Amino acid sequence: MKALQVLEPGTQTVYTIDVAARLAQVPRRLIVLYYKHGLVASVTDPAGNGWYFDDEAIRIVRRIEYFRSVCGMNLAGIKLVMALTDEVERLRAELRFHHRT
Amino acid sequence: MAVEFKDYYKTLGIERTATQEEIKKAFRKLARQYHPDVAKDKKNAEEKFKEINEAYEVLGDPANRSKYDNLGANGGEAGAFRNAPGRQGRGRRGTGGEENVEFHFDGTGFSDFFEQFFGRGGRFDGTNEFGGPGVGSAPEAGFVQRGSDFESDIMVTLEEAVTGSERTVSLQRVDRRTGEARTQTLKVRIPPGVHEGQAIRVAGMGEDGIGGGASGDLYLRVRLAAHPEFRVRGSDLYYGLDLAPWEAVLGSRVIVPTLKGQVSVRVPAGTNQGRQLRIAGRGLPIGRTGNQGDLYVVINIELPPKVTDQERELWEKLSQISDFNPRKN
Repeated sequence: MKALQVLEPGTQTVYTIDVAARLAQVPRRLIVLYYKHGLVASVTDPAGNGWYFDDEAIRIVRRIEYFRSVCGMNLAGIKLVMALTDEVERLRAELRFHHRT
Repeated sequence: MAVEFKDYYKTLGIERTATQEEIKKAFRKLARQYHPDVAKDKKNAEEKFKEINEAYEVLGDPANRSKYDNLGANGGEAGAFRNAPGRQGRGRRGTGGEENVEFHFDGTGFSDFFEQFFGRGGRFDGTNEFGGPGVGSAPEAGFVQRGSDFESDIMVTLEEAVTGSERTVSLQRVDRRTGEARTQTLKVRIPPGVHEGQAIRVAGMGEDGIGGGASGDLYLRVRLAAHPEFRVRGSDLYYGLDLAPWEAVLGSRVIVPTLKGQVSVRVPAGTNQGRQLRIAGRGLPIGRTGNQGDLYVVINIELPPKVTDQERELWEKLSQISDFNPRKN
């Protein structure tokens, strides 16, 4: 039997903006644009330490691309949807916490 | 592919008319019995624990429960769900009137039934779902496109979140060009310190790209399994501690479980209902910081279900000599 491929996703890995752009398959300037609109966060302060992004940021960038090209949304709409999704997730978690009391 | 109906009431051994309190009690009892850390037959216990957890995830939430009850009313057998209301996602796409499953997960800890109606997974990509090449159609010459990302929930126990674990996940997908299904089995290491909702990115394990485009990624979204003893909020754990009224008034020393063994906690005299006693550093790991969350012991004062004549006499005596009036203000 063929040995199983073992994958070790490094959840603590951080990427420079160039690597993040390559992984998310978007131009570097788009990540900067999304950062400026507060859609994606850098794990460090770009003013002091440069841009560094984690896997969550890659996922968010991919999700923004999905909203843009499949759902035909603009940045204002995406911002609204992402804020609402985050809020729903937070409230769901809180509700689940209280249901289990 | 028909999805097998899951009888969650049967899994928890309760009636369909059970109250939320009865559901919670049934879950706790079974979860304690089958918790992988205490059960002797670990392999079977783990499967059973996941089944119990899935059932509680649905029945423990009144909104999910009512959705589930409606599904059951629509037939309650395999195949009855295709036209049922609710989630129909999970990468299904009809081509030429037939239903094709583009991807399908196994080993995440959740059943297909759960994934279809209560899961958060799906297929996300930067392509137009309606305009993109379907099964059997050849991509245009020179057309390069990144593959879609797949997303699925993965059940992680609190113990696994602390120590990390290795999980075998199998992913079945249909080749867009040939229509052939192939199954890939992967071992994925869940690193320690994951938190609820965190997406673990497994690079390149999404859909294949088109025309030499990169493969998409697979995201496993962490869903922390309900624990029989603890509730989770962020990286903090909460444990409900039942006390007798005199223990709360006079103070006492009690044994409290934590994820890493038991600790002895001093309950100060005059501890009120709902008071939270913090045990620092006994929660879940906080991401990449190396720090730990806290464990909160939440006080719940329980009255004795019945009192003896002697006890009644003492309570009566207390009511006569005490000047405490909780409604004074």
